[in-house]
Amino acid sequence: MSAFAVQARKYRDQFSGMTAHAAQRVTGLLLLVYLFLHVHTIRQLRDGPAEFNAALAAFHSPVFKLLEIALFGTVILHALNGVRITLIDLGIGHDRQRRMFWGYAVGFGALIFLAGAIPLFLNSVWKP
Amino acid sequence: METVMPMYRNVIGWYLQRITGGLLIILLAAHFWVEHFMSAELRRGDLSYEAILKRISNPVWQFIDIAFLLVALYHGLNGLRNIILDYSRVGRHTAQALTVAIVGAGLVWAWWGIDAFRNL
Repeated sequence: MSAFAVQARKYRDQFSGMTAHAAQRVTGLLLLVYLFLHVHTIRQLRDGPAEFNAALAAFHSPVFKLLEIALFGTVILHALNGVRITLIDLGIGHDRQRRMFWGYAVGFGALIFLAGAIPLFLNSVWKP
Repeated sequence: METVMPMYRNVIGWYLQRITGGLLIILLAAHFWVEHFMSAELRRGDLSYEAILKRISNPVWQFIDIAFLLVALYHGLNGLRNIILDYSRVGRHTAQALTVAIVGAGLVWAWWGIDAFRNL
């Protein structure tokens, strides 16, 4: 086993729960900030079609599309890890909570993320 | 009763955070579908005032979206409250003041969001 693998395993055994806990809080706070910005945007519906469409046009820029993709990933991690927390609360998977975080919330989450992020990226940022 | 009630309140809050979390997964998946995939123009990414108005002028959709906002606000602000109380050592009165402040912020935020549909 390489030195890196040893360190990774050591980290996983000691700090998985803490990493999952911190990740849930950071992503939760980010989503609350996003909810504020989202309501702010939707409120611009009150200004009528011209102003609202002008505000939307700014979100079609590649920078905002990348932020949208990051938002998608944030939601997936928070949602899957939330399911993991609920399962542990219900008494399911106590003995494999580390694997559930890395394998299911991060690993399976990454697959869902790529399934959505690649089409989003190709449609709006890179446009091959 | 007085010593027992706060404990029950915590248990109810704990359950509600899980229940609203489960609801949000369903509502958010539906929200993504409705806003990004439901029609050809949305699949092209052409979200516009007109496309939104077509859907949101229906009172049923307004009700669903407002309910969605309320569930999200409860989950998000209760989570924020949990985080703040976790990282601070405060007495009962300070904790109650924080709860009042968070509920107040939630009510203002909810009104601010519902008010977005006023001129439709």
